[in-house]
Amino acid sequence: MKNFDLIKLPFSKNNPILVQVLGVCSCLAVTAQLKPAVVMAISVTVVVMLSNLIISLLRNTIPPRIRIIVQLVVVSTLVVLVDQVLKAYMYDVSKQLSVFVGLIITNCIVMGRLEAFAMVQKPWPSLLDGIGNGLGYSVILITLGFVRELFGSGTLWGYPIAEKLGLYSIGYENNGLMIMPPMALILVGLIIWWHRSRNKDLCEQ
Amino acid sequence: MKKTFSNTYIFIYSAVLVVVAALILTVVSVSLKPLQTKNQQAETKQMILKTIGVEATRDNAAELYAKHITENGDYYTFDGGIILPLKGTGLWGPIWGYLALDSTSTVVGAVFDHKGETPGLGGEIATDKFAARFIGKRMDTQAIHLAKNADHSNPYEVDAISGGTMTSNGVTAMLAKAYDDYSKLRKEATE
Repeated sequence: MKNFDLIKLPFSKNNPILVQVLGVCSCLAVTAQLKPAVVMAISVTVVVMLSNLIISLLRNTIPPRIRIIVQLVVVSTLVVLVDQVLKAYMYDVSKQLSVFVGLIITNCIVMGRLEAFAMVQKPWPSLLDGIGNGLGYSVILITLGFVRELFGSGTLWGYPIAEKLGLYSIGYENNGLMIMPPMALILVGLIIWWHRSRNKDLCEQ
Repeated sequence: MKKTFSNTYIFIYSAVLVVVAALILTVVSVSLKPLQTKNQQAETKQMILKTIGVEATRDNAAELYAKHITENGDYYTFDGGIILPLKGTGLWGPIWGYLALDSTSTVVGAVFDHKGETPGLGGEIATDKFAARFIGKRMDTQAIHLAKNADHSNPYEVDAISGGTMTSNGVTAMLAKAYDDYSKLRKEATE
């Protein structure tokens, strides 16, 4: 039961973006379209999951004085691996994500989970915590990517959905603001608003 | 509970960790290199094809390239003109591009790309919008340069990017260099 909570809580009550407010930067930057958002979500999930597992396995051997450096070495190794794999197999997406793959290293979710969880927990719960937080981040990213691409470009995963429905011929226009980063921030704000109104216990008094 | 670690332990620990990480990265990098190189080459071919108005995907780039483009030492030729390669430096790193000229030295197409210019500022050179400003400009008696509030009727002047002055200067510099090479080439051809 407790282990299941590790996966479940980051989805809602302890969502990294909505509640911990971590990883917002990349969530504004890569969600103008669905595809990069999904790839970014998968990349971050893989990195949080594996770095949590590795740090948890090493936790008793890591000297506290250099623990941040050790965490950084592990995280950057994983991120460079992800970057190399993307460049080899998904070149276009890797170009679109450009610097943001590298910036996973500094994604606060990764370091935050390592410091707060993996350093003091056993490998199995740490792995689950990594998966949970990665998925919690993914849910928000993919929601934003979906809404922004649909209303901003009239496409989904590159498929011209608005054009196929014939919306342009009856006067429909894409919303240019949707593809700008500020709109992502507004959308995150709206989601947080909705989320807090459903979870009154999260509101500060 | 609180364990203490000696300095020797810390040194050995970090050394081993770094060596292991380096080994893993080396193996992956070497084994993925061929695929990445292939992607980059296909991208270059896509870029060159774009200057003459041929939209290629990564898969058919090689085929279309072989059909339309002839490599000729440092430059490329296509049916009706020449494509000059551009190489230079922007603010943060290398920038490059290709410029297709017809027989009257008028630009028929341009394309630019960069390694790490600031997205939204200098990075704008990679957009179609920026490249389109070059069409119809000329490289016959002098090089095209970027300028603030450019005079659109001037065939040697193109609007620079606001907020991207260093990158714009880099573009001007590589156009000047390409012009020099191009003039030499034309001189050789007439002699």
